[in-house]
Amino acid sequence: MKTRLRFLTLVLCAAVFTSAVVLAWGCGGGDPDRRVVTVYSPHGKPILPEFEKLFEAAHPDVDVRWLDMGSQDVLDRVRSERTNPQGDVWWGAPATNFIQAADEGLLSPYRPTWADALLPEFRDEEDRWYGTAQLIPVIAFNNLELTKETAPADWDELLDPRWRDLIVIRYPLASGTMRTVYSGMIWRTYQDTRVPDAGYAWLTRLDANTKDYAADPNMMFQKLARKEGLVSIWLMSDIMMQVDRYGYPFDFVVPRSGAPVLTDGIALIANGKNPDDARLFYEFVTNVDHTVLQAAEYYRIPTRGDIPKDRLPAWMADLSVAPFDIDWKVFSEQSSTWMKYWDDNIKDRG
Amino acid sequence: MNLYALLRQPRTLVFVPLGFILLGYIVYPAALVLWESLFREGQFGFGNYGEFFDPDSPSYMEGLFNSVMVSVGSVLLSALIGVPLALIFTHYEFPGRSVFSALAILPIVLPPLVGVLAFLFLYSESGMVPRLIQAALGLERPPFSLNGVWAVLLVHGYTMYVFFYLFTSAALRGIDPAVMEAARNLGASSWFSFRTVTLPLLTPAMVGATLLVFMTSMNSFSAPFIFAGGFRFLSLNIYTSKLNGDMAMAVTQTVVLSAFSIAFLFWMRRYEGRRQYAMSTKGTANVRREIRGRWARLLAGAAGIAMVVVLLLPHLTILLLSFVQDGTWTHQILPQVYTSDNYGRLFQDPTFWEPIRNSLNMAVVSTAADVAIGVTAAYLVVKGTFRGRKLLDALVMVPWALPGTVVAINLIVAFSQGTPFSFGQVLVGSFWLLPIAYFVRHLPIVFRASSAAFRQLDDSLEEAARNLGAGWFYAFRRVTLPLIGPGVLAGTLLAFVTALGEFVASILLYVYDNRPIAMEILSHLRQFNIGSAAAYAVLLLLLVSVVLLGSNYLSRGSAQRSLS
Repeated sequence: MKTRLRFLTLVLCAAVFTSAVVLAWGCGGGDPDRRVVTVYSPHGKPILPEFEKLFEAAHPDVDVRWLDMGSQDVLDRVRSERTNPQGDVWWGAPATNFIQAADEGLLSPYRPTWADALLPEFRDEEDRWYGTAQLIPVIAFNNLELTKETAPADWDELLDPRWRDLIVIRYPLASGTMRTVYSGMIWRTYQDTRVPDAGYAWLTRLDANTKDYAADPNMMFQKLARKEGLVSIWLMSDIMMQVDRYGYPFDFVVPRSGAPVLTDGIALIANGKNPDDARLFYEFVTNVDHTVLQAAEYYRIPTRGDIPKDRLPAWMADLSVAPFDIDWKVFSEQSSTWMKYWDDNIKDRG
Repeated sequence: MNLYALLRQPRTLVFVPLGFILLGYIVYPAALVLWESLFREGQFGFGNYGEFFDPDSPSYMEGLFNSVMVSVGSVLLSALIGVPLALIFTHYEFPGRSVFSALAILPIVLPPLVGVLAFLFLYSESGMVPRLIQAALGLERPPFSLNGVWAVLLVHGYTMYVFFYLFTSAALRGIDPAVMEAARNLGASSWFSFRTVTLPLLTPAMVGATLLVFMTSMNSFSAPFIFAGGFRFLSLNIYTSKLNGDMAMAVTQTVVLSAFSIAFLFWMRRYEGRRQYAMSTKGTANVRREIRGRWARLLAGAAGIAMVVVLLLPHLTILLLSFVQDGTWTHQILPQVYTSDNYGRLFQDPTFWEPIRNSLNMAVVSTAADVAIGVTAAYLVVKGTFRGRKLLDALVMVPWALPGTVVAINLIVAFSQGTPFSFGQVLVGSFWLLPIAYFVRHLPIVFRASSAAFRQLDDSLEEAARNLGAGWFYAFRRVTLPLIGPGVLAGTLLAFVTALGEFVASILLYVYDNRPIAMEILSHLRQFNIGSAAAYAVLLLLLVSVVLLGSNYLSRGSAQRSLS
């Protein structure tokens, strides 16, 4: 009995190993005849699979491969792979990330056919990246507990003692979006005084009201949906998508005094292995039809000024937001110092 | 011995490739990282270390302090759960004992990221357990919630007590009951004999388990990553520094973390060396005391069932989550809407098999290399007589002390340009860097398992076979292999399953062509497809359980011994 069982177990393990080997070498992935374009993007599902399908339908000889990760992760990855780049297109990240990458020589210049339809603030002077959409950080809340009327209506209202331990924030250090928002809060006073102290004081009071810093946007949404916190700060487009796709109980308020509106961009990675198809993909996802599609389905406000008004989705007409007046160059230079200071001296001390 | 004579030695054939691999993939990357940490904006010196220990910028020191504290806490907590459990299961007989003692190793099949996720849905503020208690007692707020350091500690305690349990059980089985009897006959009370006889005999097992838990905890990434958004932890800090482009501080923290872990490794091994007791047995069987009395038996049974429930809850939670429709479980205590869509969606995804194939692929390749190098090195260290044996032993064991983040950073730094060790190729961005990381990380597992097997192998057996006329290969096949087989196999399978679920090095090193299962789970999580992530996790769990249970059975427990 004992030997037979042992024998059976041996057979079972052998089977697992064999199937591993067979799987490993038997069904090699990818079609060797097709060209490849690799896209690094934080857009995730369903945007990436949808555009993979659309692009491959239009260009059947090209295989689109995408890796989904946070925008800060893309920057880190492109930096690590500098000597042996694996990605071709970097689709999606706040402009601050692109400015940094461009400074480090990680991007390759390309002037898209629609370059002239863009205001100068949405693009790099040397064509190393172009803005595709504007993303608005807003005050998000759980709409089972709060309404547009009872939720905080502006940034300063977040400091009200009423919200003590009711705010959950995505840990800002690892997030391009939250870094921009926090730095934007400092920028409000910094732009006149040229010292960050008032901004630091403001963030200290926000920290006092913050219950928890979530590891990633997903954790933040979970905490908000499960009422661990009632209020958060995040991108309007993401919140709307959560509501549309899963029916999460979220709603948002556009802050009365405006917002540090982020420019989301696209760029070619320097020394990518498939530059021609990369350009093809770049143009494909930024053409008029697809810009309109992204605005309608994914709440991404086009940066292109040449989209006919009647083609833009209805929700855009109802939206009014005053973007902060930010000098992005200075902003991204200062931002890392500010965030380091926040991490060392403000977090969990308010 | 001069060089010419050395080259003519047949064992040069073994030493050269062995040395090449150990030097190239363990020593060289670590040395390069140490070297790089001495440069700050191109200036040679200790600037980076100055910043690390700078009292005005406490975040780095805080990370180190927290890491060490949590690791010490994890060791204590794991010992507090694991050792009594082992004592009870070894010394007492009660209904269901054998089932419970087998189930006690369940936490080990829970891959790192998946386990943490389960804890989140179970014990966090909005988790099932606090909410159920809140509803049952009609409380205003959840009675407790798991967060921050305590959450990390509890996850560690749950997953790591297994090491203490396994090691202590194995050691207890090896103690001759006659020794205890002698102590009792000499008039020692049961506490006194436990303290002066049993405990000293358990020392090697305790040291082994302490070492393992401490390392695993220093290394821990997913628990602090998920649970404590802003909580500073050294291994997490390294990742964040790199993410923010501060490579100088990333390598500096890497060096500090390595230094601490390696120092701890050697300190513990020295301590262990001073406390070895040889056991001469007469082959008396260990007698378990039957628990008598109805109430005592009932109590033991109830405690056993409660234990199983607690141990199984995380696994069940993952299974439950995999059937919950995304977005429907928010403020409710238990999920309301169930669906099999999560699995359906996975199987429809044309790229579904790729991560599984990649993980299996890399696990096979890296484990094969582990076996080739690990078994050879073990043979040389145990049976060899050459000088430098200790050095070889230390070299192979060093990755044991190196956290996954460290291994990954070392490899990135070393192979972002061509080196002789990679035959001039840039390995960053290629398929190969991640399997190499698996290989380095899991080499000590195979090595330890094999050395334990070789140590138990009596040379005279092989000699006898040779004297009776068997050729070298025949003797190896019929005598040596069957004797060392189970131990080596146990180590091999353990390395294999660990590679399957690996998360820490993967997150830093994966590329499109080799994205592993853990990254696919993380990607689903990032996109709020918790159901799909859980479904994937269930598949991984099944895969790991099959291999691990098989290995444990095959080796009759030598998997456990091989680790100590």
